[in-house]
Amino acid sequence: MLTGLSMIGGYVLCAFSFSLQNGSYGNAIDIFTLDHTGHIQIHKENYLKRPKIHKTINNAEEIGRLLEVEADIVSFSARVFAPALAYGDAKTSPASIFGIDVEKEPQTSRITQKVQQGEYFSASMNADGFYSAMIGQGLANTLKMNVGDELVLISQGADGSIANDIYVVSAIVGNKTSHDRQGVYLPLAAAQEFLSLGNDVHEVVIVVDHRDDARGIARTLQDKMPDVTVSPWQVVEATFFKTMEADQEGNYFTMAIIIFIVFIGVLNTVLMSVLERTREFGVLRAIGSRPINIVQMVFLETMLLALISIGIGMVLSLPLILWFTEVGFLLAEPIDAGGVAFQHLRGEFSAFVFFAPMALILSFAAVVSIPPGLRAARVLPRDALGAH
Amino acid sequence: MSNAVETDRVEHDPVRTNVIETREVCRYFGTEEMQVIALDHVSLTIEKGEFTAIIGPSGSGKTTLLHLIGGLDNPSSGTIELSGENIATMSGTQLADFRRDHIGFIFQAYNLIPVLSAEENIEYIMLLQGISADRRKKRVQEMLAMVGLEGMGARRPAQLSGGQQQRVAVARAMASHPDIILADEPTANLDTKTGISLLDVMRDLNEQHNMTFVFSTHDEKIMERATRLIHLRDGAVEKDERK
Ligand SMILES: Nc1ncnc2c1ncn2[C@@H]1O[C@H](COP(=O)(O)OP(=O)(O)O)[C@@H](O)[C@H]1O
Ligand SMILES: [Mg+2]
Repeated sequence: MLTGLSMIGGYVLCAFSFSLQNGSYGNAIDIFTLDHTGHIQIHKENYLKRPKIHKTINNAEEIGRLLEVEADIVSFSARVFAPALAYGDAKTSPASIFGIDVEKEPQTSRITQKVQQGEYFSASMNADGFYSAMIGQGLANTLKMNVGDELVLISQGADGSIANDIYVVSAIVGNKTSHDRQGVYLPLAAAQEFLSLGNDVHEVVIVVDHRDDARGIARTLQDKMPDVTVSPWQVVEATFFKTMEADQEGNYFTMAIIIFIVFIGVLNTVLMSVLERTREFGVLRAIGSRPINIVQMVFLETMLLALISIGIGMVLSLPLILWFTEVGFLLAEPIDAGGVAFQHLRGEFSAFVFFAPMALILSFAAVVSIPPGLRAARVLPRDALGAH
Repeated sequence: MSNAVETDRVEHDPVRTNVIETREVCRYFGTEEMQVIALDHVSLTIEKGEFTAIIGPSGSGKTTLLHLIGGLDNPSSGTIELSGENIATMSGTQLADFRRDHIGFIFQAYNLIPVLSAEENIEYIMLLQGISADRRKKRVQEMLAMVGLEGMGARRPAQLSGGQQQRVAVARAMASHPDIILADEPTANLDTKTGISLLDVMRDLNEQHNMTFVFSTHDEKIMERATRLIHLRDGAVEKDERK
């Protein structure tokens, strides 16, 4: 009874922590990668290490056609980058230009959700012949700019020429901690024109179906596109990935401790129930059971109990984990990712979450039943039956 | 069974066969300084078909003697032969198999496995003996009828009275066709009337099936039914009377 309860408890605990662990890991990766990194990025060789305006991809259209037919790719979008000086009414500030595909970018990042004031921009010029720009919160503060104001950008084109133009601020995006707080988003064509890039781009960002497949897909793409460098997010954000992995290891350690506690708990209850049944085993030995029969009996009983407990545990954890995946915990403090707040910590709902604890508990039960079984087999009928 | 064996036995002992033979059996407990002499040079023979009571006050060594005879314990000195085999030289597994095939046990209490039904309790030893399911089922029903518990086979021990539980224990002991059934104070937890009726069941089996019984008791009414009384005092045989 107690053994069954501790096995049920162990199962639910394991399933839940697996769900939590995988879920929070996945959450963090999604929060991080879908801000702007994406799952895979394509650049000119060495651009990631030393970005230079002239290190461009000049066959973006061809790459686009290749990506279009890949089944695992959800969306992709091209970008250009350049440093610039931004002028407001009275002040100037350094700024980063992000030229983004107005149509496709919202499918690869959370850019539209990050709009704090104003509206997500359009690709075309306004009636006065100006393109729209969206600026980061930091830049807006320094230049004291609001939606509708005019922004002057000065930079150097890819051909070495001086570039300058006027844009109308259509939106203020993110917050003071966003990576793009000093950013100026321009429609891709406008940015290409401004920087004299022609049709070249600096980066193609890709979002895939399952983030875990990113590495494999990146490798396949690399083979198809030898003239560019294809990097999965683990390479693009190597520091984040390493931190995440270290964190994951820490979690595994915690898991190991939980599992160990469950193990000891189950071992203890099995041992106790065997001790309680000393007389029974004494009688079984007396009437002719071999020690091996007793070991088998305890083993089979424990396995049966484990199977029943797992069944009950599954029934109990199913709604719990379903809720945890669909609704999740309300976080005391929302996680801020570049101005998009994440309120809930959600779990993972997968076969792994249910079957890993099952395999775990079954192998426990098998291991855990052996010492008590041996102990029961060693019961001497004479001692068990006592001297009357 | 071959005729040769039958003839052999008849030649060896025309009337009776010894089931148990103990020679100068001693059993000590405790350390050198604090030694308890539980059995003191006991030499006995129990013959096939006997219905023997071992009697004596508490602590006189009845349980110790039954455990030694049943191969549950080893003597400190002396030899014990069961159906002609010396059990002192047997290994644990051999002894377990020997008990399974040759000896039936009935204890004072907690005889039955609580999670098994009466039928399953009776069946258990036959299962260990590797008897086929058909034969087991048939024999279980025979045994239940023999001890007067027809129709109660599906009940668990907790659903049976103390007297009924002991009858199931008797049925289980009989089921494996042992040479002898040993019972250590089988009636101690029963009221006198129930105890006597249990004894009557045992006595019937003894008479009708020539089953050898050795049981211990300190109840006058119970010992009356025995055909042989072995009196123990301080671990030694004080008196051995046949009726
Ligand atoms: N396992 C044991 N350890 C120590 N002493 C024992 C043990 N078993 C029996 N004795 C002692 O041996 C003596 C005989 O005991 P027992 O055979 O149980 O007597 P009875 O069954 O007639 O009451 C008693 O003095 C008892 O204390
Ligand atoms: Mg006793």
